[in-house]
Amino acid sequence: MDWQWDFTFEVVLPRLWEAAGITVYATVVSFAFALVGGLILMLLKMSSFKPVSFVASEVIEFIRGTPLLIQIFFLFFVLPQVNITLPPLTTGILAIAIYNSALTAEVYRAGLQAVPRGQWEAAIALNLSTYRTFRKIIIPQSLPPIIPALGNYLVAIFKETPLLSFVAVGEIMHASKLIGSEYYRFNEAVTLAGIFFLVMSLVAAALVRATENYVKRSILH
Amino acid sequence: MTEPKIRFDKVSKRYGSLTVLDRLDFEVDEGEVVTIIGPSGSGKTTVLRVLMTLEGVQDGVIWVSGEPLNKMQSKNGMVPANKAHIRRIRSRIGMVFQNFNLFPHMTALDNCIEAPIQSLGLSKAEAVERAEELLAMVGLAEKRDQYPSQLSGGQQQRVAIARALAMRPEIILFDEPTSALDPEMVGEVLSVIRALAAEHSYTILLVTHQMGFAREISDRVCFFDGGKIVEQGLPNELFGNPQNSRLQQFLSKVLEAR
Amino acid sequence: MNVRYSAIAALIAFLLGLAVATFSELRIFLPALLRGAAVTIEISILSAILFFSMSFIAGIGRLNSIRPIRWISTIYIEVFRGTSLLVILFWFFFVLPSFGVVLSPTQAAVLGLGLNFGAYGAEVVRGAITAVPKGQKEASAALNLPDWKSTLRIVIPQAIPIAIPGLSNLTIEMIKATALVSAVTLVDITFASVQQNQIHYRTLDIFIVAMVIYYCFSQLIRFGGAILEARMTRHLARPH
Ligand SMILES: Nc1ncnc2c1ncn2[C@@H]1O[C@H](COP(=O)(O)OP(=O)(O)O)[C@@H](O)[C@H]1O
Ligand SMILES: [Mg+2]
Repeated sequence: MDWQWDFTFEVVLPRLWEAAGITVYATVVSFAFALVGGLILMLLKMSSFKPVSFVASEVIEFIRGTPLLIQIFFLFFVLPQVNITLPPLTTGILAIAIYNSALTAEVYRAGLQAVPRGQWEAAIALNLSTYRTFRKIIIPQSLPPIIPALGNYLVAIFKETPLLSFVAVGEIMHASKLIGSEYYRFNEAVTLAGIFFLVMSLVAAALVRATENYVKRSILH
Repeated sequence: MTEPKIRFDKVSKRYGSLTVLDRLDFEVDEGEVVTIIGPSGSGKTTVLRVLMTLEGVQDGVIWVSGEPLNKMQSKNGMVPANKAHIRRIRSRIGMVFQNFNLFPHMTALDNCIEAPIQSLGLSKAEAVERAEELLAMVGLAEKRDQYPSQLSGGQQQRVAIARALAMRPEIILFDEPTSALDPEMVGEVLSVIRALAAEHSYTILLVTHQMGFAREISDRVCFFDGGKIVEQGLPNELFGNPQNSRLQQFLSKVLEAR
Repeated sequence: MNVRYSAIAALIAFLLGLAVATFSELRIFLPALLRGAAVTIEISILSAILFFSMSFIAGIGRLNSIRPIRWISTIYIEVFRGTSLLVILFWFFFVLPSFGVVLSPTQAAVLGLGLNFGAYGAEVVRGAITAVPKGQKEASAALNLPDWKSTLRIVIPQAIPIAIPGLSNLTIEMIKATALVSAVTLVDITFASVQQNQIHYRTLDIFIVAMVIYYCFSQLIRFGGAILEARMTRHLARPH
C-alpha cells in the first residue's frame, strides 16, 4: 500500500482534526433534538385522541421506512423553496434529528410498556396521582431499558453524520473527500476517517455498556 | 338498619360479548370477613378489581359506606363519577395482589411510605413511624431496608400487606394472596391475614383456594359461578352442607386435589 | 394484524402513486426513478445474500470453541459495526485499488453493505443461538451427537425463527442504506431523485414518490418477515 507519513501529518491530520469538531457538534446537537422530538412524537402517539395517535404513528412509520439520506436531500432542496434558508449544517442536523426522533419515540414507548401492568395497578390501589405514578413508579423503572437504547442511538447518529458530506457540510467525510480531490490521494484521509469512527464507536459502546450496568445497579436491585 | 360497608347493586361487567359479572347483587357489612370461592374464570378477581376501580363497569352502582363509587350525585341525579370523586372513595379501599406488585426500585420501607406521604399527606417522620409499626406487625421489622428482589415470596407478600395497611383503608381486598407462593411460605402470609381478620376493625374481602383457611376465618363464604353468587352462607353450613349441585361438584374437585 | 394493515396501506399508496404518476406530468421523471429503483433492488438483493451469509458465519464463529475463529469473528464484527458505512464504501472504492484490488461500483457497494450489515446480523444470530435453551445442546450430547452436528442440526434450526425479526429489521435498514451507493457512482433511487430534481425542479413530487417507493420496500420486508416467522414458529406453539 502506498502511504505517505509526512502528507498524513502535514495535511490530513490537521484538516481531519478541524472537521472532527463539526462531526461531534452535529452528533451532539442532533441527539439532543432527537431526545426531545422523540418524546413529543411518543406523547402524540400515545394520545387518547384517536386521530392524533393515528397520524403520529403513521408519520413515525413513514420516517422509519425511508432512508435518512433522502430525507436530508429532501429538506435541503425543499426548505429554500418555501423561503426557509438555513445553512447546510443546520438543515442536516434537522434531518438527522427528525429521523432519529421517530426512532427514539419507539424507545420511550417500549420502555414505558416494559413496566408491568401490576405496577400501574398497585399505584391506583395506593391512590397515587397520575403525576406521582409516572414520576416515582413508572419512569424510574423504564429507565434501565431506555438509557442504553438511547446511548446506542447516540452512537448511531455519530456514524450517520458522514451523510452530511452529501450536502457539503464540512465534517470528517467531506474533509476526506476534499483532500482526495485536491491531492488525488484518498488512502490516508479515508483510512484515518475510518479509524476515527472505529475508535470513537468502540469507546462510546464501552461507555454505553458501563452506563447500562450502572443504571441497572442503581435503580433495580 | 345500618348501611352495608360495600353494596353491589345490579352490577354488570362485560368484556366485549363476554359477561363476567351478571347483574350482581352483593353486600358486605362493616367489619365482616367475606371469602369468595369459585371455579377459575367465574369472576372472583373481577369483583375485587371493579371495587378497586382498576376496571369500570357497564351497569349498576357500587356503594361504599353508603356513597356511590362509580357514580356521583348531581343536580340531574346520578352521573358517572369524576376522577376526584373516585379518588376520594377509593382511598377507603386497599388491595393485596396475587403477584404482590411491590415497587422493585424501592426498599420495603419506601414501598410503605411513598403513598402515605403523597396521598394522605403525612410527614415523612409520621409515615416512617407507621410503616415501621406495620412491618413489625407482619414480622419484617429488620427487613425495612431490603429491596423486594432480596426478599422471599412470602416476605414480599407480607410487605405488600403492610403497604396496603399503611394507607389506613377501611376495606382490604385480597386476591388469591398465596397462589403465587411456594407451599412453605403460605403459612406465614395466612397467619398475618388471620390476625387482621380476628381484629374485625377492617372489612375484608378475600378470594382464595385455601378452603380450610376460608372455613376458619370467614364470617361468610360466597360461591361464585358465571358472574353470580350461586350460594352463600356461614362457612360451616356452606362447606358442611352445600345445597347447590355446582358447589358440591366444585368442593369435591377441590378436596380431591389435595 | 398491524403488519398486514400497513402492507395493504402501502400497496394502495403505491398503486395510487403509480396511477397519479402515469396520468399526470409526473411521468416525466418517473422512468428515471424506476431505473434507479432497479439499481436499488439489484444492490439490495446481492448485498442481502452476503449480509445473511456473513451473519451466520460470524455469528456462529463468535461462539466457536476454537479461539482463533472466535477472535477473527469478533474483530470482523467490531470493525464493521464500529466504522461508518459511508467510510467503508469509500474505502473499498478509492483505497482498495492501491492494494491492487480494483472493484466495480456494484462490487464495492455490495461488499460494503453486505459486510457492514453482516456484522450487525452476526450479533442477532449470536443472540438467537444463545437464546436456544441449554437443555437442547445437553440433550443432543446425551444422544451422543458430535458437537458440530448438534450445532448444525439441533441448535441452528431453533435459532433461525428467533433471529428472523432482528434480521428482517436489519434487512429494512440495509435497503435504506443502499441510498448511499451514489458514493461509489451508482445511480439508485436517491441519486436519480437528486438528478431529476436538478432537471425538473419538482422537489416535492419527486422526493415524495421516491420516499413512497422506499416505504413500500420497507413494508414489504416487514410483512414478509412476519409471515416467515409465523410459518416457522407455527408448529412450536406450546400446548397449554
Ligand atoms: N381484560 C380482560 N379482557 C377480556 N376478558 C377478561 C379480562 N379480564 C378477565 N377476563 C375474563 O373474565 C372472566 C372472569 O375473570 P376473573 O374475574 O379473573 O376470574 P377468576 O378470578 O374467578 O378466575 C374470565 O373468563 C376471564 O377470561
Ligand atoms: Mg382470579
